[in-house]
Amino acid sequence: MTSEGDTFKTLWPKRRQLSHQDADIYQLFNIKKYHRRQLAVDIESLTISPASITGLIGPNGSGKSSLLRLLAFVDSPSEGKILFKGRKAVPYDDSVRFQVSLLPQEPYLLKRSVFDNIAYGLVLRGVNRSRHAEAVVDALSLVGLSAEEFAGRSWYQLSGGEAQRVALAARLVLQPSVLLLDEPTASVDAASAQQIKASALKACMKWGTTLIVASHDWQWVHEICNRVIPMFNGKVMENGRGNILLGPWRPEAEGYWEKVLADGQVIRVSEPFSRATAAVIPHDSISLSLDKPRLSPHEHFLQGVLTLLAFDPSTDSIQATIRIADLSFTLRIPTKHAQKMLLFPGQKVYITYPVSAVLWY
Amino acid sequence: MDYILNGLFQAIQLLIHGDAETYSAVAATLKVSTGSMIASILIGIPAGFLLGHHDFPGKKPVRTLVDTLMSLPTVLIGLLVYALLTHHGPLGHFGLLFTLEGVAIGQTLLALPVVIALTATSIESMDEKLRITLISLGADRKQVVLSTLWEARYGILAASMNAYGRVMTEVGIAMMVGGNIKWHTRTITTAIALETSKGQFVSGIALGLILMAIAAMVNISLSFLRNRS
Repeated sequence: MTSEGDTFKTLWPKRRQLSHQDADIYQLFNIKKYHRRQLAVDIESLTISPASITGLIGPNGSGKSSLLRLLAFVDSPSEGKILFKGRKAVPYDDSVRFQVSLLPQEPYLLKRSVFDNIAYGLVLRGVNRSRHAEAVVDALSLVGLSAEEFAGRSWYQLSGGEAQRVALAARLVLQPSVLLLDEPTASVDAASAQQIKASALKACMKWGTTLIVASHDWQWVHEICNRVIPMFNGKVMENGRGNILLGPWRPEAEGYWEKVLADGQVIRVSEPFSRATAAVIPHDSISLSLDKPRLSPHEHFLQGVLTLLAFDPSTDSIQATIRIADLSFTLRIPTKHAQKMLLFPGQKVYITYPVSAVLWY
Repeated sequence: MDYILNGLFQAIQLLIHGDAETYSAVAATLKVSTGSMIASILIGIPAGFLLGHHDFPGKKPVRTLVDTLMSLPTVLIGLLVYALLTHHGPLGHFGLLFTLEGVAIGQTLLALPVVIALTATSIESMDEKLRITLISLGADRKQVVLSTLWEARYGILAASMNAYGRVMTEVGIAMMVGGNIKWHTRTITTAIALETSKGQFVSGIALGLILMAIAAMVNISLSFLRNRS
C-alpha cells in the first residue's frame, strides 16, 4: 500500500495551485437569510482568506449553522451576494460544486456500504473506478479507521463517532478547497473527537484546504484558528474576541445597567439600546488578578474560578477561562505575565473591566 | 370444510394438468396487473417525488385529495372508466371497452393514488440532512433527485407492493370494464366471482389459492431483492 499522500497525488494529478493566494476565497456582501420569516443570518460584510482556519463561536441559534450552509452553497441567501474566489456563486454552480464540502453536525450516511459512502463523491467527479479502492483506504486511514474492518460495513453498523468519521472521510477523499465543519465533535465520543480534530487539521496542512469550523469547543477553536468570529443573533461580531453576555438588563443607579447572576453577583454595564440586547466585553479590556482588586472609578469586578488555561500560539498569549456563576468568561494574558502569576485551574480569581468598554449588539 | 381441502387439491391438479381456461385467466391477470403497475410506477413515482419534495401553494389540498383517492371504491373507478370508454363516451372511438387494455387503464387509476401518496410520504420522511450531504459531496440537481429516490427505495418498494396488492385482488374494474369474457378478459378474480355465483366453490377456491400463490411469489422475490441490496 502506498502512503496516503502518494495516492492523493496520483488521484488528482493536476493539484490546484492556490492562484488566489492573495485574494479572499469568500466575500459576503449584505447577506440576509430568513428561516420561516425569522432572520437567521444578517451579515453586512465578511471575508475569509484562502488556506486559513476560521472558527465560528456563539450560542445555539446564533446563526452558525445557517452561515455554514450559505458558505457551502447548500442554501441561497434571501438577500445579498456571496463571491467565491472572486466570482458570484449560487448553489449547484459548477464553480463551487466540487470545491466546497460541508460536514453537518449530525452526519447523514447514504444507505449503502461505508466504501460506497466514501466513493460517492468520487463517482460524481468521474474518477476512474479502479482508483476508488485505494482512495477510500487512504481516506479511512486518515480518520483513523481500518479499511479492512470498516469498508465493507453497512451504514447501520457504525457507532455515532464512527459514522461521523466516515462522513468526514467522504469529504476528505475529495480534497475540497474549502471544508466546513458544523460542530464536528459535539455529539461524538472523546476518542472520535480527537481523531476528527487531528484529521481536519492534517487536511489543511497537506492540501491548503480552507477550514471553517463552528464549535463550542472554544479551547480547540482558539488553539487552531487564525481567526475566531463570534456570532450572535445572526450577526458576526468583527474584531470581537469578546465575551457575549445576554440580557435582560435592568437599570441601576448613576446611569448604569445591570444583570444579577445566579450567585448574587452583578454584571454592571453601560446603558443598552434595548433591555434584551447582547453585551460584549472585549477580552483585551478584562484584567485578571488573584487578590481583590482596587477599583478605579467606572470599573467593575467579578469573582470566579479559573477553569481552563490554553496557549494561543498566534498571539503568544494564554487564553484563560473563568467561571462566574453560570457564565464563562475568557480573556487573554501575555505568556510571560501568566507565568509570573503562577496560574492554575481551580484558583479563585477576580476579573476587572471598565464599564465603558462594554459594546452593544 | 371438505371443499377447502378439495379446492387445494384441485388447484394443484389444474396447474399440473395445464388447464387452459385457468391459465388463460392467470395470464390475463398478470398482463393487466403488470401493465397497470408499470404505468402507475412511471407516473406515480415522479409525481410522488414532486409532491413530497417540493413546497408549492395548494400542496396540502392536493395531498388530501391524493390520500382520499387511495380509498376510491373499485366499482366507482369501473363506472368512470366504463363511461369514458363506452361507444358514446369521449374515448369510445379507441374501442377499449371489454379489452385488457381498458381494464389496465382502470387499474392504473386504482394504483396511482397509492403509489403517489406513499412515495410522497417516504420522500417527505427523508432528512434535510440528505440534501445537504448530497450537495456537499458535489451532486447536481439531477443527481440529488436520483440519489434521494434511491435512498427512499424501501419506502417506494413498499408503496409499489401495496398498489400491486390492490390491483391483483380487485374485481370491480375487471368485471365492469373487462366484462369477464372467457378466453379474453376473464381474470382470476372475475372467474372466482363467476364460479361462486354458479355454486362451484371448489374451482373458486382453487383459483383463489393460485391468486395467493402469485402474490406470495411476488412478495418473496421482492424481499429477496431487498435483502441483497
